[in-house]
Amino acid sequence: MAWTKPIIRELE
Amino acid sequence: MTPVLPRGVRLHHDRVRDRWVLLAPERVIDLDPIGHAILSEIDGASAVGEITDRLAVKYDAPVEQIGGDVREYLAGLADRRFLDMVP
Repeated sequence: MAWTKPIIRELE
Repeated sequence: MTPVLPRGVRLHHDRVRDRWVLLAPERVIDLDPIGHAILSEIDGASAVGEITDRLAVKYDAPVEQIGGDVREYLAGLADRRFLDMVP
């Protein structure tokens, strides 16, 4: 798996 | 700086949706695969630089790129109080 910029996604 | 999960915050596998999340009391962050990889390296002893070095080897990617992304990600979690950064 290639490195991709991680995203923070807080669930509601 | 060493990232540490505060008491009450933990990694959790949501088997219903087959995804990893970071749980805090009444709050949840959905983890993408890279986010999970970063958090899996947090052991309470490894500094950010050590975590970055391990991920750079694992993903065969430039340490400068990974270091920037990791620091930004951890800072975002710390801002949301999902993570403590200790000296």
